[in-house]
Amino acid sequence: MNSSLKTIIKRLARFLLTPWRRRYRKRNGRVTNQPRHELPNDAWLGEVSQMLREGKPYAIYVKGYSMRPFIEHTRDRVFLEKRDSYNVGDAVLAQIASGHYVLHRIIEKQGDHLTLQGDGNLEQVEHCQEQDVSGVVTQYIRPNRTIPADDPKLVRRIRWWRRLRPIRRYLLFIYKAVV
Amino acid sequence: MKIKKGFELRDVCGEHIIVAYGKENIDFNKVISLNESANYLWKNIADKDFSADMLASLLCQEYEVDVETAKRDAQALLDEWIKVGLVEE
Repeated sequence: MNSSLKTIIKRLARFLLTPWRRRYRKRNGRVTNQPRHELPNDAWLGEVSQMLREGKPYAIYVKGYSMRPFIEHTRDRVFLEKRDSYNVGDAVLAQIASGHYVLHRIIEKQGDHLTLQGDGNLEQVEHCQEQDVSGVVTQYIRPNRTIPADDPKLVRRIRWWRRLRPIRRYLLFIYKAVV
Repeated sequence: MKIKKGFELRDVCGEHIIVAYGKENIDFNKVISLNESANYLWKNIADKDFSADMLASLLCQEYEVDVETAKRDAQALLDEWIKVGLVEE
């Protein structure tokens, strides 16, 4: 598809979805472009990891778009806590290679072996062991509301989001026009 | 004055970063970076009761400043910390 046609479709989608965008923004808050003090991702997440292991739960801003639509870059924070074990459906902070950290969701668990995928990623997955996980998201903190990770509505949405992976590309397109 | 519970100084990539952990600090959404002198003061007064005068005398010990300047700078720093919500009575 050529790029100008893409732009037209994007604009049309934004226009058609205006009422939904208004509602969504009112409920969740807006994405801001305030300048922020940014730290190198891996070093910072390594430090956060260390804190969680010391038993200090902590709320962080997450960089990037890989957890869309559940965590939005520059808008949301997540509250992380350490647990003894982690399950499928948990969004976790994990070390996937030496000095390299991600905050993604567990999509498969076989014994100690975990497979992770970002909600907003189409194909890419990561692998790690359960002991590489330092914490789990227990609260999604948005400007206008905070959602506990065990909120039944959220849990249902996350499950549906996984089931609809074949059409994730299109759902993300709609989400981008709404956010 | 005392530094609030859950506030901690950590070194990340050569920067002195203040983090606030725990459920009670969940609404604290800032990451604060301290410069060298603020870092020095923080390390000396963490877990202690302190006052602006104490900060000033610490500054005088470490840096070559006159008492007046040290007092003024200490007060300014303390006001900033109170404003941001790092310290409590």
